[in-house]
Formats: sequence, structure tokens, C-alpha cells
Amino acid sequence: MLIDLISLAWSALVGHRLRTILSVVGVAVGIAAVVALTALGEGARHYVIQEFTSIGSNLLSVLPGKTETTGAMPGIGGVPNDLTLQDLLALRRQIHSAQYIVPVSMGTETVSHGERRRQVAVIGSSPEFLDARELRLAQGQFLPPGDVERGAPVVVLGHITARELFPGEQPLGQVVRVGEWRMRVIGVLAEIGTQLGVKMDEVVIVPVATGMKMFNRSSLFRILVKVRSPKDLDGACEQVISILTQRHDEEDVTCITQKAVIATFSSILQTLTLVLVAIGAISLTVAGIGVMNVMLVTVSERTEEIGLLRALGATHGQILSVFLLEAVMLAGLGGLVGLLVGLGGVHLLTWMYPAVPAAAPVWAIGAALGVAMILGGIFGVVPAQRAAKLDPIMALQRR
Amino acid sequence: MIALQHIAKVYEVGGQPIYALRDLNEDIGSGEYVAIVGPSGSGKSTLLNVIGCLLRPSKGAYLFNGEDVSQFDDQALSHVRQHQIGFIFQSFHLVPRLTALGNVALPMVFAGIPSSERQIRAQEALDAVGLSDRADHRPNQLSVGQRQRVVIARAIIMQPLLLLADEPTGNLDTHSGQQIMELLESLNAKGLTMLVVTHDPKVARRANRVIVLADGQIVKRIKGEELTSGSAPFF
Amino acid sequence: MTVMDLIRFAGGAVWAHRLRSVLSLLGIAIGVGAVILLTAIGEGTRYFVLAQFTQFGTNILAINPGKTKTLGMPGVLGGTTHKLTLEDADALSRIPGVEAVVPMAMGMGRVEAEGRGRSVNVLGVTAAMPTVWRFAIGQGEFLPAGDLNRATSVAVLGPKMKRELFGDRNPLGAIIRIAGYRFRVIGVMEPKGQVLGYDLDDAVYVPVANAMRMFNLDELMEVDVAYQSATMVDRVVGAVRQILIDRHHGTEDFSITTQAAMLESLDEIMRIVTLAAVGIAGISLVVGALGIVTMMWISVGERMSEIGLLRAMGALPRQIFLIFIVESVMLSVLGGALGVCLGMLGAFALTLVLPGLPVFVDEQYLVLALLVAIGTGLLSGVGPARRAIRIDPVEALHAE
Repeated sequence: MLIDLISLAWSALVGHRLRTILSVVGVAVGIAAVVALTALGEGARHYVIQEFTSIGSNLLSVLPGKTETTGAMPGIGGVPNDLTLQDLLALRRQIHSAQYIVPVSMGTETVSHGERRRQVAVIGSSPEFLDARELRLAQGQFLPPGDVERGAPVVVLGHITARELFPGEQPLGQVVRVGEWRMRVIGVLAEIGTQLGVKMDEVVIVPVATGMKMFNRSSLFRILVKVRSPKDLDGACEQVISILTQRHDEEDVTCITQKAVIATFSSILQTLTLVLVAIGAISLTVAGIGVMNVMLVTVSERTEEIGLLRALGATHGQILSVFLLEAVMLAGLGGLVGLLVGLGGVHLLTWMYPAVPAAAPVWAIGAALGVAMILGGIFGVVPAQRAAKLDPIMALQRR
Repeated sequence: MIALQHIAKVYEVGGQPIYALRDLNEDIGSGEYVAIVGPSGSGKSTLLNVIGCLLRPSKGAYLFNGEDVSQFDDQALSHVRQHQIGFIFQSFHLVPRLTALGNVALPMVFAGIPSSERQIRAQEALDAVGLSDRADHRPNQLSVGQRQRVVIARAIIMQPLLLLADEPTGNLDTHSGQQIMELLESLNAKGLTMLVVTHDPKVARRANRVIVLADGQIVKRIKGEELTSGSAPFF
Repeated sequence: MTVMDLIRFAGGAVWAHRLRSVLSLLGIAIGVGAVILLTAIGEGTRYFVLAQFTQFGTNILAINPGKTKTLGMPGVLGGTTHKLTLEDADALSRIPGVEAVVPMAMGMGRVEAEGRGRSVNVLGVTAAMPTVWRFAIGQGEFLPAGDLNRATSVAVLGPKMKRELFGDRNPLGAIIRIAGYRFRVIGVMEPKGQVLGYDLDDAVYVPVANAMRMFNLDELMEVDVAYQSATMVDRVVGAVRQILIDRHHGTEDFSITTQAAMLESLDEIMRIVTLAAVGIAGISLVVGALGIVTMMWISVGERMSEIGLLRAMGALPRQIFLIFIVESVMLSVLGGALGVCLGMLGAFALTLVLPGLPVFVDEQYLVLALLVAIGTGLLSGVGPARRAIRIDPVEALHAE
């Protein structure tokens, strides 16, 4: 019976090819827009999450200054109490769940070798930094282990910095000037790209004590704590805060876990996607109205046919389902076309601009078809009921 | 007024030429009342459409009021139809959403006659066909006889030279058919040239002249009163 | 056939099929309404953001340590080759056309008075600050003018700070402690409110020299320069850059951001965001137009014999074309008008539900929406109208 109904509805749709095509295109445009927007939004979200998780999810950062939110940048300018190397050592002594605890200081300096000079970001840290930020070495070695309070005059160059300062030369063992300081190059980082907005290929890394002396800073930029498993994150955070509060006599540090940052970004992007999709979905409503309009016309045109079907013994319910099915098929076809166009568009976009992170999530594919068919159902009800309610005798008599 | 010279109308159907009219010659004078009869497919309707300037003949010349309209372009033909020809159809062709008055006034809309004048003239035309009190009725609120009167009022509103009627009584009962024919004949009596295409010998017999068509050619020209019920094979 | 006749005839056809006409124009109305509402929100937000920034005056520029090209936050990475010092600020004040220079250092410190304490932003500025930032003094006076390098232990409180520490009592002359140092309160600022989530009223202002000593800073966080008129912006920026490069031994290790440039880029960003949202909403307009095309197409098909009749009566193809175009435009214009009403109603409802949301309905967008609706109608009508004039009158008259 269902097969018969479908073929009946199909023949009606094919019979009015042009209006069927126009209605299908209407639904398709809406569905394609929603699919493409979902793909862009989800793509951006995955990109951000990936970006964050690429630098380790068992990591927490300790920043000087107290802030309420994770979003704002704390510690603009001076801070009440410095985050010092002594703080770092205290944390290292007392936090046992930590795999390692890494100091980070930052500044900008001019790096020069002979006539070649470049202004770069200088990161002062310890040997564990390599692992904490999941960096790799292209050649040489990373910062030497030892007392963090004593800084050796050695430097590890970022990929691009090394290429710019030593074009066609072997940088290892050479001496560069970082600001006023003469330092020996002991390693070069492998190409890595941008991490959290810092172009890691254009940095130089020095021992933390050297860095702090260089920038004449008494406070660290932040302290990174790597814990053994994600479940230790919250505990470690509390511990860090309680130790530093005790040392500083007030709570003046902020502890950020990667998890919290990811969650914040993820929810912001999800909301954004949702808003865009909602705006895009307006066009689906419009398409639905179009389907309803066409179905109303169809019903009034086929009044005689409906009368005949009723005379031949078709029930109220059967007439209803014929027209409902027609509407659902119309919208479903639109959904299918829209899905293909949307996915095609996304593919084209990523092919033309590989940097654009866009990928339609699997659920969106099913949802697009589902939504289209539900749309057809909702907007098909009124015309179908109109058809089913027709009086068979009146319908047959109508000329 | 009408001179048809070697008129032919050819249609291509599946690459084959089909002759609807072939080498047709006829003159119709001003004020004549002519019936065109013939079996289905004899070319009656095609001839009516050619005379009505709706179709251009494939060959031959058609002189309407001294002008060779077979050479006219679409715009010029429209102009001739607008001002010189009135049409009456078997199935009325009234615009369902317009009132009787609105339907009658419609030709004047396209001719660019101002609205105030349209109202007056349309009402006069309705008065003339005896529908003074039905001006505000829509077609579906009128009887079939009344509908055909509205159509006649519409056909004469532009004061044409020629009235073309295609089976004017085809959808009417005997009584209203009779009334419609009387109305048309009264218009003819006032000098309006009239061509009626019909199946009905009773209608055809009333004409001054009957043209019998078969296979796209005129096979017989007789006087109306000569037509008897015995002539039925022609239809 | 006059325009009035056209409208009357087409209007009759639209009215004859009320339900389908309403549904067709509803499609356009929803699209136009969405566009109007989104532009209203977008424009409102744009004006709101711009107002937030222009309240500080437009003829100022900011110098931050560190070289960056983006709008971001320069100098957050810390140390630079050469520090931005009070001497630098002093040198800048001698540029012709410069009205005032405000060197700024900032830190976070605990402020205590009469047993109450709060940790707030402590801003080290100079006497020129209220003029440059367009801040007003509510009570007492602002920091005294004089030598930049001289530290005077006087402080001016933000209104929220004053309320928290002193309640309704008069704070003038009171002694407070900021990060352990003693200061005398000489003034209270007028409330300024929040700017982009940052509470300007919850702060303490002290002379810049005190702030630098207190927080052990050897450089300024920012120097703000106010100049006389917008026309001299390029000259002032050039002079500032030259002087600082000279003072910093030839390196450009600072960034100059003019308020005008920042406003421009903000304006640009907001415009793009609004445009993107409107573009997405515009998709529904396309779908609505498709709805009109469908309905007009069906209508032409249904009215075959009517078209044949009109042609037989001598109507020109051009007139038939116009009838269907006018019908289509009528639907879309009615839809557009309804959409404008819906959009404005939506914007109004939004201000009632979310009073904080800035909403601004720009008349030019209303006109634009109606023009777009007319254009949509014209475009949607062309296809069906062409179909109408291609109909052979002889066939159409016989199509029953």
C-alpha cells in the first residue's frame, strides 16, 4: 500500500515538473545554507579544540594576578606580587601529582647575527618546555637541565628565525646577539606553526634565568604545570593556589586549566553556530510556506480526482496520506538536493581555501534530511486535511 | 469588406504538412450575415481565426476593409482586433473575478479609454443587451443566457465592423439560444457584419448566406433559406 | 492602459486568490523582516560600541611599548629593547599641536581605609588625564599639575571605590593606604560606567611617579597624546614616531594607535559582521522569491484562457507581460511592507524583552528593504510573464 501511495504521489510530482522543481529548489536552498553554516561552525570549533589539545590537555597555567573569568587577560602592567622562581621551586617541592613544573618568561628582543637582525619573541624557560608545548627539535639539543636560577648563555632558535639569521649556514655552535647578550646556538626547533597565537617558528628560547635578567623582570610570565592524568588537574590547581596564597599572604594568582579554556571557547563557538543556523533556518520556514502553497493549489486543482478516488472507495485517511506523502516527498527531495549542494559547497570551499576549517558533522547530514521531511509534514498537514475533508459528491460535480 | 484570396493555412505535424485551409477564396460584404458550416476538422475554426486576425494565413492575401492584414505584424493585428472585431465564444470566456460591467469594460482598458468613459459605455452596452440590473454580478451569479449577453455586450463595446461568433448557442438551452440569436440579428440589422460558425442547421438557416467547408475548402455556397434539415450531411 | 488600470486588474487577480497570495507574500515578509531585525541589532551594536570609544574623545592617540601591527594588546609580552619612560612622555608634550600628554602606569593593589580594603586597579596618571579622557571630577579636585617625576602622595577615587570605602561619608582629606603606602584623598571622579565590561569607576588614580615607585616599574604602560584637531593627525603621528625613534636609538619598538584608526577598524568589523548576518538572512528572501515564481507560474497556467481572451480582444503582448509583472511586484511589495512592519515590531519587542540590547532601526535600511522587495518582485515576475506572452491565443481560447 505504501509503495502504491508513493508511486501515486511521485506521478503527481512529475506531472507538474516545473512547480516541483521550484519547490524543491526552495527547500534545497534553505537546507544547503543550514548544512554549510553548520559545517563552518563545527569546523571552527574542532579547529580551536585541536589547537588547544595540541599543546597537551594535562596542562595547567598559573598566571600572576587574580581574575574572575578565564577570558580576560590578567596582570596588565604591574602586579601586587611577583610570580618568582622561588615560587616555582616551592611548587616543585610540594606538588607531587605534577609530572613537571615549567617556568615561562616572555619578552621581545632584537636577535642579530652579523648584519642580519630580527625582532622576535624571546621565551625564557626550562628543559621541560619542549615536552610541555609538544615541540620537536630539528637539530642540536634543547635547553640543558640544571639549576633554574642559573642561566647559561645558550639559545634555541625557532625554525624561521634560524633560517633568517643563518641562510644556508649551520647555526649550531654559532653565536648570536639577543639584545645586548651574546648567546651560543645549541638547537633549532622543527617547523610547528602558530600555537595559541604565538608564532613558534619565529621565537628564540633561552634559559628562564637568562630571560628574566635580559628583560629585567622579577616576575614570571606564567608557570606551566603538567599533571599525570586529567583527573589530577583540579586538585593541582587548588594546591597551587593554596601554596602561592600562603607564600604571598593573599590570593593573587590565577590558575587556568586547558579544559576550562576549551570548554569556554567551545561553548562560545557552539552558540555562534547555533545563532547562524537559526538565521539560516528562517529560509527553511519560507520554503515550508512555499511547499504548503503549492500543495494547496494542487489540492484545489485535483478536486475532481479526489472526488473520484473517494467514489472508488478511498478513505478519509488514505486521501490525507496521499497528499501528506506528496508534501513530505517534495520537501525530502529538496532536503536531499540541498544536502548535496551544501556538502559540495563546503568541499569546494575547503578545496579553494584549505585554511578554512569546515566539515559537516555526520549528524547534520541525517538532520538535514529529517528536518526537510518534518518540514514537509508540518506544512503539508493543512493542504492534506483540506483534501481529505472534501465532500466526494461536490468534488465530483465541480467542473 | 472581407476579401480572402488564395488563403492557405498549413501546420507541421511530425514533419508532415497538414492543410487546415487550402486555396480559399471568398468575399464578404459589409452588413452581411454569413454562417460557416462544415463537419469537424473541416477548417471552420481556422477560417474564423484567420478572419478574426488571430492567425496569419500561410499563403494568400486577406484584405480587411481594404488593407492586406496578412502582412501586418502582431502589434498591428492586435490593433485591428481591438477596434474592428468583436468575438463571441461558445464557452463565454468571461473573467470570473470581474463583474459583468468589468468584463464588458475590459476591451476599453486595453484601448486606453479613460475610466469614467468606460463606466458609462459599459453600462449602456449592458442596457442594450437587457442586463441593466446585473452590472454588479459576477459570471457565476448569472445564468448561461445572461453570460452570453454579457459576452455580446463586450463584443460590441468598441463598436466593431465585424462580429465573429463561434457556436454562440452551443452551451445554451433552446429558449435562451433563440433569444441570443435574435439579439445578434438585431445588431446585424443595424449594419454590423456578422459571421457565425455553427453546427446547428437551425442557426445556420437564419443567415443570409451559408458557406459550407470541407477539408479546408469551400465546397458549397447557398442561401440560408435553401438550407433544409435534409442538408444535415454537411455538418 | 494606465498604471491605475494595471494595478486594478493585477490587484483583482491577487485578491481573487487571497490565501495563496498571502502565503506567497509571507515568504518575502519573513525574509525582509529578518533582514530588518538583524540590521537593527547590528547597527545598534555598532553605534553602542562606537559610542563607548568616542566618549574618550576622538583626537587622541596611544603609544604602547612593543611593536605590533594588530589591534590586539601590544606590550603584553613584557620587556622591550628600550623602555617607554616619563622622559619620552615629556618630550612628546613639546610637539606643536599636542594639547596634553598622559603617561600611564598601572598596577593592581590593595587599597585600605578605615579598616576596609579592596584590591583594585591603581592608575598612575597626570593632571591632564580628565581633559584627555573626558572624565569629570565629582568632588574635590584632580591630581595637581607639575613635574612629572615628582611623587605627591595624593589620590583620587573612582565613585564605586569611594562608595565601597567610605559609604556616604566625605572622603576628602582622608588618609588611605595603597599597597602599603599612605595617600591623602583629594577628589572623587564622576561615575563613568563600564566600557566593554571594564568598570572604570572601580579604580584609584595617583600621580604616575608614585605608581611607578609603588609597583617597582621602570617603564610606562601607555602614553596617551591629545592633539588639537583631526586634520593634524598624520603630522602628530609622524612627529611622535620620529621623536621616539630618535630617543630609542633608531629602533621603532613601540606602537602608535590613533583613536580614529581604531574606531575605523571597529566600525569595519561591525559592518562585516552585520553584513554577514544579513546575507544569511537574505537567503530566505531568495527562497521567498522562488515561492512567488512558483505561484505566478501556476497562475499563468491556470489563466491560459483568460490570456487568450485578452489577446483576442486586442491586448498587446507588452500589456499581458506588464499585468503579470505588476502582480508579482504587488505580492513582493506587500510582502516587503509587511516584512518592514514585522522587523520593526520585532526590534521593538526585543527592546522590551532585552532592554540592554542596543537596537537601532535605520530608515535607509527600510527603504533599501522595500527596494529589494520591488527588485525581487520584478525578477520573480519575468519568467512567468514571459510564459504568459508566449501563449498562443488560438490554443489558449480552446484550452478548456
